[in-house]
Amino acid sequence: MDSLPDALVQHILSHINNAKDVAVCNCVSKRWKDSLPYIRSLYFARNSFDNLFGQQNPDNLVWKMISSIVRLEELVVYCPFSGVGLASWLSLVGPSLRHLELRMDNLVENQICNEGPSKLDCISVAKNLESLKLWGVLMTHSPKWDVFQNLWNLEIVGARLDDPALSAALRGCPNLTNLLLLGCEGVRLVSIELPHLQQCKLDFYGLGNCQLSITSPKIEFLEVQGCSWIRVHEANCLKNLSIANNAGKVYRVDFGKLEALEFLSIRGVQWCWDAVSNMLKWASEVKHLYMKVEFTGDSEALQPFPEIDLVEFFNSHPKLQKFDIHGAMFAALCQKNSLKHVDSGFVIPSLEELVITVRSPLNAEQKMSTLESLLKYGKNLKSMVIKILQMKSNHSSADDFFDEICRFRYMNRKIVRIE
Amino acid sequence: MSSSKSNKIVKLESSDNKTFEVEEAVAVQSETLKNMVDDGCANDTIPLPNVNGKILEMVLGWCKKHVDETVTGDELNKYEADFLDLDQADLYGLLMAANFLNVKGLLDRVLQRVADMIKGKKPEEIRRIFNIKNDFTPEEEEEIRLENAWAFD
Repeated sequence: MDSLPDALVQHILSHINNAKDVAVCNCVSKRWKDSLPYIRSLYFARNSFDNLFGQQNPDNLVWKMISSIVRLEELVVYCPFSGVGLASWLSLVGPSLRHLELRMDNLVENQICNEGPSKLDCISVAKNLESLKLWGVLMTHSPKWDVFQNLWNLEIVGARLDDPALSAALRGCPNLTNLLLLGCEGVRLVSIELPHLQQCKLDFYGLGNCQLSITSPKIEFLEVQGCSWIRVHEANCLKNLSIANNAGKVYRVDFGKLEALEFLSIRGVQWCWDAVSNMLKWASEVKHLYMKVEFTGDSEALQPFPEIDLVEFFNSHPKLQKFDIHGAMFAALCQKNSLKHVDSGFVIPSLEELVITVRSPLNAEQKMSTLESLLKYGKNLKSMVIKILQMKSNHSSADDFFDEICRFRYMNRKIVRIE
Repeated sequence: MSSSKSNKIVKLESSDNKTFEVEEAVAVQSETLKNMVDDGCANDTIPLPNVNGKILEMVLGWCKKHVDETVTGDELNKYEADFLDLDQADLYGLLMAANFLNVKGLLDRVLQRVADMIKGKKPEEIRRIFNIKNDFTPEEEEEIRLENAWAFD
């Protein structure tokens, strides 16, 4: 190792980013100590300073290490720190930082500590940031941020927000292409107007009654959890869409025609029927559809889906290759009698994979008929997986139904499988 | 006038006078060799006085594997993992060669491998494994250990 040129030693050590390893390497030899200032990225694990004794202060130790580095581009701090500490570090390296990731830990504090600068406000010094990730954030006051011109990626995981604070934060990042807000509570009305946004993942805790409006014409990937009303103006580029609501009801969706959509997933306990039927109508080009909505109903009462004509459904989704039918959909597909009058030219052209959850043995005959039709008209069907573990088995006809399904599987062993 | 890359051969000679012939597509995985080819200097045998035959053979093997379209992603991953299972002398030789020949993917992998051997160890262990001379005076060493004491369990 001693015979390698300095540049290569620096190059090797630039792959050492864990602060503990950096501190150890400082003690190996003078040449190593002199090579470490050239590292670009530094990471402080949660337990970095668990072994402190005496008057050693984590904020200072981080400061010391950062001050020895010529040009730090990436800083990740998971260990606890104070606003004063953060301000001191960023005054050293703020302008050169491209990526900053911090475990803020503010959620435990019930009120914002008024001593010293707010951690969120300090971040503004890192004005050239390209990527910012914050864990455990209390953002109930608008952060005093200038504009992060270069910030393309913002991730906030585990946060208590309020609507004006979130709006203020997003105004500070007009050039975002990626936005991730996971495990966030406290918002009700979210309006996102980011002209360059391409990927957006939102997960809101609470009663599932958030209202979301997005005006981002370049959006390609959108995943939303916890909203009851979702409006996306101009979704011409949207390829991949997932809407789920575990806690509340989905009342309304406004998307318009989703011409580029290839993947759609809709999940939740209860969706209003208009919302379901509009989604299915707009997603006519979709290749993979995942449905797990348990009930519909415009009022509080949980209702099954109305009848859905199988022929009409597959004719209006001609590109469908993969279909996951869970929740109330399978039962709804069965009930129309149009299967008896099917146009002889009818075919389900693109369908290759089917996964169906059968939940109850009611209307068993119709359900078997649907399974058979799917196989008969699905000329390119390669695999049909029937999931029956959640089937209600206290009904006496459950055993007969199960037998029918087993027979169906036996007759079509190459394609059908039971899970 | 463009040369058909699939047929041209590049000739290389290692420091210990072994010659290797490889297709141009393989050779240009090395930025250094690519520049020579582009500048028209690759018509005669290219001497590589700072790379020995054993190491050059390894590097060329790596380059060949990476232009082979029949190799799957998984196979390539396994190849790369097994490739770096070397003793230290070979590892440094490879590092210097990959650096000189500027074979980016290989260089990154070797650097990472060496860095992985350093992580989580104590200074004494590192010095022993890599045969590094401790050039601190006792006073200097004590001072630096105290400064970085927080990192030692």
